[in-house]
Amino acid sequence: MLFSSYIFILIFLPIVLLGYFFITKYVENTNTAKVFLILASLFFYGYWYPPYLLIILSSIVVNYFLSKKIVQTKSKNLFYFGLVFNIGLLGYFKYRDFFLDNLNYLINTDIGFAKLALPLGISFFTLQQIAFIVDSYQGITKENRFCDYALFVCFFPQLIAGPIVHYKDLIPQFAKEDNKKFNFSNFNLGIFIFVVGLFKKVIIADTFSGWANEGFDHTTVHHFISAWATSLSYTMQLYFDFSGYSDMAIGLGSMFNIKIPRNFNSPFLARNIIDFWTRWHITLSQFITTYIFTPLFRSFKKLTFRNSLISVFITMLIAGIWHGAGYTFIVYGFMYGSALVVNHLLKKRKIKLPKWLAIFLTFNFTNIVFTMFRAHSISDALSIYKGMFGLTFLKLPKGIFSKDFILSIGAEIGPYMNNDQNLNLILLIICLIMVMKAKNSGEMAKNFKPTLKTSFILSMMFVLSLFGINRVSDFIYFNF
Amino acid sequence: MNKDEVLVTLKNIINTTFDINYDVVESTSAEDIDEWDSISHIELITKMEEHFGVRFALGELQDLQNVGDMATLVIEKAA
Repeated sequence: MLFSSYIFILIFLPIVLLGYFFITKYVENTNTAKVFLILASLFFYGYWYPPYLLIILSSIVVNYFLSKKIVQTKSKNLFYFGLVFNIGLLGYFKYRDFFLDNLNYLINTDIGFAKLALPLGISFFTLQQIAFIVDSYQGITKENRFCDYALFVCFFPQLIAGPIVHYKDLIPQFAKEDNKKFNFSNFNLGIFIFVVGLFKKVIIADTFSGWANEGFDHTTVHHFISAWATSLSYTMQLYFDFSGYSDMAIGLGSMFNIKIPRNFNSPFLARNIIDFWTRWHITLSQFITTYIFTPLFRSFKKLTFRNSLISVFITMLIAGIWHGAGYTFIVYGFMYGSALVVNHLLKKRKIKLPKWLAIFLTFNFTNIVFTMFRAHSISDALSIYKGMFGLTFLKLPKGIFSKDFILSIGAEIGPYMNNDQNLNLILLIICLIMVMKAKNSGEMAKNFKPTLKTSFILSMMFVLSLFGINRVSDFIYFNF
Repeated sequence: MNKDEVLVTLKNIINTTFDINYDVVESTSAEDIDEWDSISHIELITKMEEHFGVRFALGELQDLQNVGDMATLVIEKAA
């Protein structure tokens, strides 16, 4: 079920909210409400494709008993088995096809195989459980009841694409007496953040997705303006899609009195790449810093600056590959890894740029990397880069300039550009100003007051979004 | 070892690790000190572990929001 669908907003969510707070109020046994949420979450998950319930359920059961044993015995072998089990499960579904494709190519064979569809959310629920296994081995988790553990993995607001949560941050919240009562101010705040996220996704991201898809599907015909419009459209789409999704998750959590950590903090105001990663997909950056970078760096005998840079680089490569099987993701990791290394080197020399220039360069770099991230292949990305950096003829869209003017300066009219492209450019400018100047949803939530004006604007956004749902599309991060 | 003693020692470790001279208080965090990033954080943690004779779990590092949190965790671990 998608957050941005009628069945979720108008049927599933009201029923689950009513059911949950009814149970917390009238049923003594505290487990009943948790079991209800687990069942609702599994229904939410299985609604796409019921057979995948088997995968998530086996993952939960195996990890639960494994971590229980690890807590009891501190067994190193079980700990390694847990890591292999989780990474193996993820690897099998994510990389099997890529591996077989490359094998066929390398040894010139034609082994036929049915393509695997990626079980939804597997990257996210696997990461959360890896963290839990590590924490169990290092002695900072206690034995848990199965229903607490299952709820931690499958609580539907954060199940499919994060924000990545930790057991110790999530589950104790359900036990607090105050949190069991329906709370109007949390509910209002929840609606507010949810609608902001819905609007970001349905109205803004999905509008840009049309242009981005069009551009990335026609990479042979790009020239200066269309190449920039395509790459910026995707960067805007990705940001509004994913941060919109995270807002919706946070809003849903708030309706149940559960705090879910923020995942974005005005990333395009970052002044360098190190800064960018503290603002973009924050919970993933924290996960990879804690559970990949730190042990990697500490595995070196000496904590020298050089070793830290090697660790940073390898960590970003792994983060790239985590996004999916494909050379573009490897290059994506390579680009961010190299950029972080350069960033740390410059920092060491205490080289500082003026604020505006720093933000400008950082934004452009991330835009270039996300173009690689989105492209079907490395060569597609390169042809967009060629257009962006003027290596193809300058072709201007008709509409903004008169045809005579375009021809008189020696430029040409782009083949796939039309008047729709003018709207694209205008919206790009508006959204660029918005991501640089407007308050982000986290800041807005802090100052949220349920006034008449706010509720009017919010209702408008909600109604517009409901109409927009018709052209419903998946969230980008459902593919990772 | 009380919190004040730990804080005084922490202040020294932080200033020598980052090669700065900063008036570290409980609420000081990575946001206040430019030199304090994910890399130098590990150096800091390692020096703290050596000095106080404790070992932090990975999952604990993420929760350390400021110097006060660090001091509390050191006391908890050393107890």
